[in-house]
Amino acid sequence: MKTYKLSYFITIYEFNRMLVNSKKVVIASVAKQSRFVGLLVASFLAMTFLMFVSVSDVSAKVRVVTSVPTLAAIAEEVGGDKVEVEGLAKGYQDPHFVDSKPSYVLLLNKADLLLYTGLDLEIGWLPVLITGSRNSKITSTASPGRLDTSTLILNILEVPNTKVDRSMGDIHPGGNPHYWLDPRNGIATANGIAERLMEIDPENSSYYDERLGDFVKRLNAKIQEWDKKLAPYRGTEIVTYHKSWVYFSDWAGFKEVGYIEPKPGIPPSPSHAAELIRKMKEMNVKLVIAESYYPQKTPALIAEKTGASFLALPSQVGGREGINTYFDLFDVIVNEITSKLENMTKSVNSPNLRGG
Amino acid sequence: MKIRVAAGYLGVTNINRRIILFVFAFLFFSPSVYKEVWGDESDEIKKQMQELRQQMESMQKKLQELEEKNRKLEEEAQKQKEEKEVEKALTETAPPPQPGFLQRFVQSLNPDISIIGIFSGAYFTTDDPIVHAEADPENTGINLQEIEIGFQGVVDPYFRWDSFFSIQREGLETEEAYATTLFSLPLNTQIRAGLMRSKFGRINLQHREFQDFVTLALPAAYFLGEHLNPVGAEFNFLVPLPWYVELSASVNSPNGLETTSFAPDEDSNNIGLLLYIFHISNFFEVTDDFSLSLGGSFATGSNGTGTENRSNLYGADLFAKYRPLKFSSSYQEVWLQSEFMYRQAETPEKTLDDWGAYAQLIYRFAKRWNSGFRFDFVDTDDPVVPLADDVGAENLLRVIRQEVEEEEAILGLLGKELRYAFMLTFNPTEFSRIRLQYEFDDPDFRSSYSAVYLQFQYSLGPHGAHPF
Repeated sequence: MKTYKLSYFITIYEFNRMLVNSKKVVIASVAKQSRFVGLLVASFLAMTFLMFVSVSDVSAKVRVVTSVPTLAAIAEEVGGDKVEVEGLAKGYQDPHFVDSKPSYVLLLNKADLLLYTGLDLEIGWLPVLITGSRNSKITSTASPGRLDTSTLILNILEVPNTKVDRSMGDIHPGGNPHYWLDPRNGIATANGIAERLMEIDPENSSYYDERLGDFVKRLNAKIQEWDKKLAPYRGTEIVTYHKSWVYFSDWAGFKEVGYIEPKPGIPPSPSHAAELIRKMKEMNVKLVIAESYYPQKTPALIAEKTGASFLALPSQVGGREGINTYFDLFDVIVNEITSKLENMTKSVNSPNLRGG
Repeated sequence: MKIRVAAGYLGVTNINRRIILFVFAFLFFSPSVYKEVWGDESDEIKKQMQELRQQMESMQKKLQELEEKNRKLEEEAQKQKEEKEVEKALTETAPPPQPGFLQRFVQSLNPDISIIGIFSGAYFTTDDPIVHAEADPENTGINLQEIEIGFQGVVDPYFRWDSFFSIQREGLETEEAYATTLFSLPLNTQIRAGLMRSKFGRINLQHREFQDFVTLALPAAYFLGEHLNPVGAEFNFLVPLPWYVELSASVNSPNGLETTSFAPDEDSNNIGLLLYIFHISNFFEVTDDFSLSLGGSFATGSNGTGTENRSNLYGADLFAKYRPLKFSSSYQEVWLQSEFMYRQAETPEKTLDDWGAYAQLIYRFAKRWNSGFRFDFVDTDDPVVPLADDVGAENLLRVIRQEVEEEEAILGLLGKELRYAFMLTFNPTEFSRIRLQYEFDDPDFRSSYSAVYLQFQYSLGPHGAHPF
């Protein structure tokens, strides 16, 4: 989508040359002059026609644009080579705070399908881009070209049951939006995306269905594998920077006993850090997890003071080099967590390090 | 006698001879004898063996077929099991068909309402500071800069509506109230119509709460006023080039504008004297971390000083932002915003040439802190005293100064003015702000002075994101 058809700018001479060479234009007149005029008229008409045609969609692939790269990865699995997918935000940046660059408007202008996480995750930057996109396929919330993937998820966690206000920090009134970190939600997301693709592109329905079945099969197998790896560590107490790991903890059976942010969006103050350290020592918290885009000094310090391990983990596809698919993301997260916890239990059990 | 002797010599007797003959015959004829005696049976055996072989082959074939069938059945069973698992997974994770818990928060077709309050404590080193823009702090003490109320929402599938009202102690003023098209138009057009801040340069589009300094930059304050917000219709085209290029053309009426550049003409039914504003904006995403925006603007319209006298306002703007995303603090960023403006204003006596520019550089060194420096100035032509007292428009080309008891009827701006400012901002959250600014103002036409401001700002409601 970064290349535009510049046929509007092709000169008459070049176009004449193309026409003559392709032998598609047959001018009956014998005289050279009238033939030239005829060519001129034909090329002018063709050029104006092409100007309108080239502005519209020529590619046969469905153009999918997503707000975050994890949705792009899932859309690629389901759509295969019938879709062209582009993610706006990068996997290593905070999805709450993305600059609404005008270049994103160009991508949204050409999109056939827009996928976004919803639950106000992208509310700081996506709406203004959608308004400027001039694309009626995505400007209305109910159009088939626009899918809020949070509507596909069965269990949204942390839906507030009291009236929210901003004294609670940067609260999401519809629930916690970081649902992609539970791989079972990946199944529901892929299902919804496939359904929507079948609606937009009914010719390839069987293809999308097949790819969906294949993806779900592989994901199921992998989920069992990850379950097995995480099973011995169920019930481990952990602390995360932001409330972004609640779905992962729910699946893996971890207990989140505290957060480095005193309230969502508020950086830690020294008093809060001290309180957290005390709590962590009491509850013997083993693991501190923070995404790489958060300041790393404070969580590392807190981990050191309490004897926990600090892990900087990616929370999106593309959050680190080599994480290119949904499977890669969980492979990295599960492997790092389990190897860290394994090392910790080993060092606890080994008598040398603990002095007897 | 010889034969008998020979035979006798050999020891072969008659009987022996017969025996030998018999043995030879036996040996000679034995295969056929053998065949004769045993021949039928071996044929039969062969036949039977062949039959057995055939039977074995056919049994093997059947076995193979059965194996094939079994394998196929197993595959089918496996596939069905997998499909069932997939179905189970899909149905287990699918959300309930009827709307559930997410409808718990009340659906409403009301617009988004937001309100923003901007106040600043100020200390000036002079008794009568120049108030360049309406919402700048006016005197030593605590000033109300602006309260902005916004109503925003989607009208229907075709339009959205954004309106903002600016309230100060004296009264309420409409800052913006306009509709934007949402549907696809040819040539990637988007139309905005209503009362709106014009797309002239960059700072004119930035609401007060979004600006980086307490005071408005000098060129904007002098040439555009607090904001250039005529009533008009604006056509915005996305030009089909590989980078973002937006071409903007608008036709507006200058009635009611509080700016020194444009005012209605007495020859007011002349369409050629309406306010026309053009802007081209280029955005280059040079790398993932560095963005550059370059723009040019042109505005022309009557300025009310006389029949068919017009002002032409030219502008160039630059915005560059460097935000390294890959580092652990991806909130660190640096941005530079700079604009240049040049105005030609026709008056009955002569054409005035004024120009001005500003440049501001801000460094956000933490998620909630940023600091910056701004330099701005204007250089104006010598003003003229008009021949007639009554020139029609009120604010025309005059700077309203507090020190003057009655406004002098001059046309033109007062002279050269230079200013620089340092600021430090702390944003407890995205919805509140505290800013400290030191400013030094050096005009040519009077004594210079300094000012210190402490600004505080609060916002309530879902005030949407601002353009980049």
